[in-house]
Amino acid sequence: MCHQTVSLVARHLEAGGLPTVIMGCAKDIVEHCGVPRFLFSDFPLGNSAGRPFDAASQAATLELALRVLEGAPSGRTTVQSPLRWRDDASWKLDYSNLDKMTPEEIAEKRKEFDVVKEIIKTKPGRT
Amino acid sequence: MTFAPEHDVPIPYMQRTRDYYVALGYDNPYRWAHFEDVPFTPLPTPLAQARVALITTAAPYQPGVGDQGPGAPYNAAAKFYKVYSDATTAAPDLRISHVGYDRKHTTAEDPNTWFPLARLREAAAAGRIGALTPRFHGAPTNRSHRVTLETDAPELLRRCREDGADVAVLVPS
Repeated sequence: MCHQTVSLVARHLEAGGLPTVIMGCAKDIVEHCGVPRFLFSDFPLGNSAGRPFDAASQAATLELALRVLEGAPSGRTTVQSPLRWRDDASWKLDYSNLDKMTPEEIAEKRKEFDVVKEIIKTKPGRT
Repeated sequence: MTFAPEHDVPIPYMQRTRDYYVALGYDNPYRWAHFEDVPFTPLPTPLAQARVALITTAAPYQPGVGDQGPGAPYNAAAKFYKVYSDATTAAPDLRISHVGYDRKHTTAEDPNTWFPLARLREAAAAGRIGALTPRFHGAPTNRSHRVTLETDAPELLRRCREDGADVAVLVPS
């Protein structure tokens, strides 16, 4: 949801005359929405700005984002960071992947989700 | 010649979450925002002279609403529902327990991975950007496209303009 939110906001800022760049990890959501400029890091969600405890990787990620801001020739410009989370890409198979869950795990998640829905119902601007 | 493994592609989050929530009993698939046209505004000034606004989806820490991490389970009670702003000279205590980050492969222990304030300050000190605006801004993550587009996005634009921003860097968590 975070990636969709910033995508919608970037579009609004840009239409209002403010150039934007998004730094993010969910390529499909951002590109499906359609945004002016996007630096994509192929990292687990939560690491849009570089690796944990690695200032050099964070600085390199920001520098790439700034270059996308400066150099994008038109809207829907995506640049992918050359950094890799790790050599082995098997982490990509885990996120919300039903194929990797047992029926018991799915039932457990279903119960947890019902609780979350109840909490959200009590809040304004339900989300 | 050896190709990379088939699964070594950007994760298809829309498909994964659609399938996942159907399995969890949500039979009404979420409609993700999708537009044909994309607005585009050229840079008005070189970055070395530009005032940069930073926009995050991270939440200010709220005492009393449960575990907010690092590493906390998803915490819907820690969500926020209004745009907020804080000084870029401060050291804000921001958390991301209210969003669906990858809890298996990252622990959210280092806020610099989703909130590049320190790195932007360094870029300003080095002259790579002109300056940060006096405030950064928090964008609520709302399932409702209408709330984001009609309420939150206009408020964020208003605050960026008030701060004299020339460009904005947006970072989802």
